[in-house]
Amino acid sequence: MSAPGIPLRWPAAWADPSLLRLVKGTAIDTLLVDNSDELEGVREAAPQQGLRVVHPDVPPDGVTVVKGEWPGVRLSRRGADADAGPTGVPWVDSNGWQVRLAKALHPDSAVWVEAAPPKADFRFRAGAYLTAVADAAAYGGRWLVTLEDALAADLSDEKSDAASIWKTIMDACGYFAAHQEWEAWEPAALAGVISDFSGENEFFSKELLNLLARAGLHYAVWPKDRVSEIRGVRAVIYADAKPPSAELRRRLQAFRARGGLVIQGQGDPYEIAQNTALRISHRYDLVRFWNAGAAGSYVSKSPDGKQSVAHLLFYANRAPDEASVRVAGKWSGWRASMVTGPVRVDGLRQAEAIEVHLPEVQQYVALELTV
Amino acid sequence: MTRREWMLGAAAAASARLARADAPASRVAVERCRTYDSAELVPAMERMFDRLGGLGRLVQGKTVAIKINLTGAPTYRLKYLPLEDTHYTHPRVIAAAAHLMGKAGARRIRIVESPWSTADPVEEYVLRANWEPRDIIGAAPHVEFENTNYLGKGRKYSRLKVPHGGLVFPAFDLNHSYEDCDVFVSIAKMKEHATAGVTLSMKNCFGITPCTIYGSGAGVDEPSLVPKGGRFLIHSGDRQPSKSAPGEVDPKAPREGEWRVPRTVVDLVAARPIHLAIVEGIKTMTGGEGPWVGEDVRAVAPGVLVAGLNPVNTDAVSMALMGFDPMALRGTLPFERCDSIVALAESVGLGTRDLSRIEVAGASIAEAKFDFAGMRRERQSRPRPRVGIRG
Repeated sequence: MSAPGIPLRWPAAWADPSLLRLVKGTAIDTLLVDNSDELEGVREAAPQQGLRVVHPDVPPDGVTVVKGEWPGVRLSRRGADADAGPTGVPWVDSNGWQVRLAKALHPDSAVWVEAAPPKADFRFRAGAYLTAVADAAAYGGRWLVTLEDALAADLSDEKSDAASIWKTIMDACGYFAAHQEWEAWEPAALAGVISDFSGENEFFSKELLNLLARAGLHYAVWPKDRVSEIRGVRAVIYADAKPPSAELRRRLQAFRARGGLVIQGQGDPYEIAQNTALRISHRYDLVRFWNAGAAGSYVSKSPDGKQSVAHLLFYANRAPDEASVRVAGKWSGWRASMVTGPVRVDGLRQAEAIEVHLPEVQQYVALELTV
Repeated sequence: MTRREWMLGAAAAASARLARADAPASRVAVERCRTYDSAELVPAMERMFDRLGGLGRLVQGKTVAIKINLTGAPTYRLKYLPLEDTHYTHPRVIAAAAHLMGKAGARRIRIVESPWSTADPVEEYVLRANWEPRDIIGAAPHVEFENTNYLGKGRKYSRLKVPHGGLVFPAFDLNHSYEDCDVFVSIAKMKEHATAGVTLSMKNCFGITPCTIYGSGAGVDEPSLVPKGGRFLIHSGDRQPSKSAPGEVDPKAPREGEWRVPRTVVDLVAARPIHLAIVEGIKTMTGGEGPWVGEDVRAVAPGVLVAGLNPVNTDAVSMALMGFDPMALRGTLPFERCDSIVALAESVGLGTRDLSRIEVAGASIAEAKFDFAGMRRERQSRPRPRVGIRG
């Protein structure tokens, strides 16, 4: 069997093996099924459909599991209102930084994101599940598909609303499975973050990655023991408490001598993230959004450097209908797609960028760009 | 309206009648200008300034502060349009003004604004709007930006007193830039306004108040270090400014934005007089001051520039160019629910709004008029659309 693909946490209430029909022909290829007697039939029938069955607590070899947050605009205790962050914009929970860190630390592993829908006094809509899939997959991970109990029950009862949500999830999984090559593409970054991401440095370095993403700064994750020559970024943050080794110091000095910005030492990660974005300057923003609400982005490029993809994520329940996005670079061509298919967009070429006007879109749009 | 509000309004009206006769009147220049192309824009602005007696006598050897209008977040557009085509002062107008002032001998030109909820440099703020700040900084020698929404580069806030005692505030604590200048210029966008009816050169100065003192996140005793939120404090009077700054003249005055905002603007313009008022209406929007006002807003291209040495005169002419009667009072278009800034400004003697006393040079009002008023009436005749932010 090939490397683990897209996993589904099999709902405890789905004891009927005939429910395996739901995953037939989809991108789901791995089921996490518990050892209960009720699910014995499922465990037996699934391999006959070519599905891998694993225990939820024992992920297959070659998989790194990260515990994530349910992605989206953070919900208050009352459920309906959004919390505001320090800058007044909605506070977005995203697992992108965790996926990227896991991929950097375990480059030969697939990364699964465990983030179940939180208990709430409302039902999550299709867009929220699409966000969950895209927030992991855009960064090269896979969301461990986990359904609300009520959704699982409605699916087994063949209710149409539930079927519609399920179709959205499967469309999204299928879309990213069809673009697996993107997982190997290198991130486009303005800053590199160097750390061992462990021990006394773990909290600060991880919080920094999280907050750099919230500051809209595109970064690369560089484990300290694997840093070679520093190129391709405007700034480096050395995020460890102890001074760098002599060799790394030499590389940092060489980078600084070429005009690079080196930020060293620990402190308030929020301030360091915000100040880094300012010190680099918004002039060099890789992506700018307008009318996008709570949005995030990740840009990566093909090994030959001729193609890029800008993953655009819109975290609000209702995705935008008149958003504009500018992606820096000298692009000769562009096309946009959602998980349901191509999107027709108008593009304006600028001196060093392309500005694209999006129509009403879903929570995820891929903008494929050609140099 | 309460009895107290009625009495305050009646008193203002009585003083207005007294002040109207001798309120200053000076020439206002109007130019047609269809595009932001430098070949059309710069000569049009130069002609306009020449009609006012030339920039040289105003700025030569002087430090000039230019208040621009960057209302709202730089990531909020009307549909797909650049912000400068709808609700931000256009960067080419700012650059042209700086260029002409530099040519006229200005010693230093400081572009000032209090951007939404941030202490970031204005240069960084406008980059997010897709502007190139170097186009403005390079327009003349010694051009710089300053974010005036907080203490900024100053050591302390400057206290500027309101000569007439103040309709709402007796004095303001402002960023040093508003004191450290010889010449103060307001470059506004020609727009309607949800709270004040219209926003022109005087209303533009609402944004000179630092949100560290006058904003929702202002410190209680002392100014906060960085600004947070907008100026709801002034709109609603739900709290007083930081105690380090002068409080309201009458803390029992109405708590209604439509009463408070026009009066506060008049106090600000009296405390920080405008030497040159410029209203930019080449491209703008109708229905409000920004896309957040509602879905019944749209982009328009009046193709007009206005300038004058008296902001009340300039705004009165601008209102006429928009199809509004500058003599209108509360209850009348465009002041259906608010008091008139130009009437209040006239009442304290800042300038006349009486068009019969204002000389208009260049294009006539009839030639350059763009009918905001007609569009407003048409909107009001339709059912009100839903208001909200998507995304």
